[in-house]
Amino acid sequence: MATRRPVLCPNCGAPVRKNGYCSGCYMHLSVIKKAYNTSNYHYNVGYDKAMARDLSGAIESLNMALRYNKRNVLARNLIGLIHYEMGEVVVALSHWVMSVNYQETNNDATRFLKELKKDAIELENVDQLAKKYNMALDYAYRGEYDLAIIQLKSTIALNAHFVKGYLLLALLYIKLENYEKARVTLRRVLKIDKANPVAIHYLHEMGDTDENIIHMRSESVENDGLLDDDFLEEAAATKGDIPLVVTNVTRDNSLKNLFRDIIDKSKTKLVKTGEFGEIGFARYSGLYVLVGLVLGVFLLYFAVVPAQKKKLKAENEKIIKTYSEELADKNTQISELEKQIDQINTDYAKEKEKEKKNKNPLPDYSSFEHEMSDEDINDLINGE
Amino acid sequence: MINFEEELKRFQPILEVNQAEEAIYSNDLKDISDIVMQMTQEIKNANMNAGGQLNSIVRR
Repeated sequence: MATRRPVLCPNCGAPVRKNGYCSGCYMHLSVIKKAYNTSNYHYNVGYDKAMARDLSGAIESLNMALRYNKRNVLARNLIGLIHYEMGEVVVALSHWVMSVNYQETNNDATRFLKELKKDAIELENVDQLAKKYNMALDYAYRGEYDLAIIQLKSTIALNAHFVKGYLLLALLYIKLENYEKARVTLRRVLKIDKANPVAIHYLHEMGDTDENIIHMRSESVENDGLLDDDFLEEAAATKGDIPLVVTNVTRDNSLKNLFRDIIDKSKTKLVKTGEFGEIGFARYSGLYVLVGLVLGVFLLYFAVVPAQKKKLKAENEKIIKTYSEELADKNTQISELEKQIDQINTDYAKEKEKEKKNKNPLPDYSSFEHEMSDEDINDLINGE
Repeated sequence: MINFEEELKRFQPILEVNQAEEAIYSNDLKDISDIVMQMTQEIKNANMNAGGQLNSIVRR
């Protein structure tokens, strides 16, 4: 006869008695099941709201789900994801850590945490964002609204989905009676969180009707000028602190797509992090020119100059060879001429010797003069 | 009209990364099971106290 496996309490894991009460926590099983079902119901409501981009409403429903069952891992993961989407990464982290604590295996939060830890740049940005926001809040408390606005704009540059930053910025614009900019800011909030109660409250207070607000949601925020370069200049001029460069559009799109993708896949997936901002190429133009010059010099030194040297060397060798040949010819000619000179000198010496010999006294013809008559002499001459 | 000071008070500083641990500990909220268990425990303690008092009366 097979023994029946005891029913375990989903709350504490202890066996449930026959009367339906847990032997560990003394709760009735039906109460626990009812609580868990209610939790799941609120999770589903929260999920639907998240899909409709009513993030504030989703957070409310998911918090309710956790009040019925704090071990509802799906609700934990989704609420963490929504906080992440709204720029509150530390809150997201705490929810995911709790989620992993309740269920280690087969839990998407494990992957979320792993991916977040892997991205040091993202974590650095998160820290920077928190510091700047807190600083802005401090400035706002002290009445230094301009400085607060600069800091808030730089937080938004770090994370274009930072809802709290937008809301505070809008409040400051309202205080400074810059209602148009406040509207632009709140429109961005409504793009991220369609039914944000604070944003709607501010818009109502500024005289916007519900119809206006609905229309506002459909308007594009890409070229609203909220984060024009003027704030970067302001920031640089006042603080000497240039905000970290993260392009809004890239990050905005990536987060939007990832958020949807994550929800579609398994209801709770991590928003991928580590999107790098576009590089401001114009900023580095001077550097590029310098690098180009250096490369040019290297090219000249290592490629052009050796070729020129080789060419010149070959030409020189050719010239040297020609001159050597000419020199050899001339040397030959010189040696021939020297030989001729020697020969001439020898001949000259011989001739001189001969001449010397010829200078000896002529034969004595006096006897002929006394013994020969003029006729004999004439006969002799004629006879010769 | 918006009361700026009142609205500003609603904005609280957000947590920095080095405060994450603190946030995790503070995040451990009570759900309905915890509340029921706490109530059960309180009733149990009350009964024990009542029983103790009853015993002391009986002894007297």
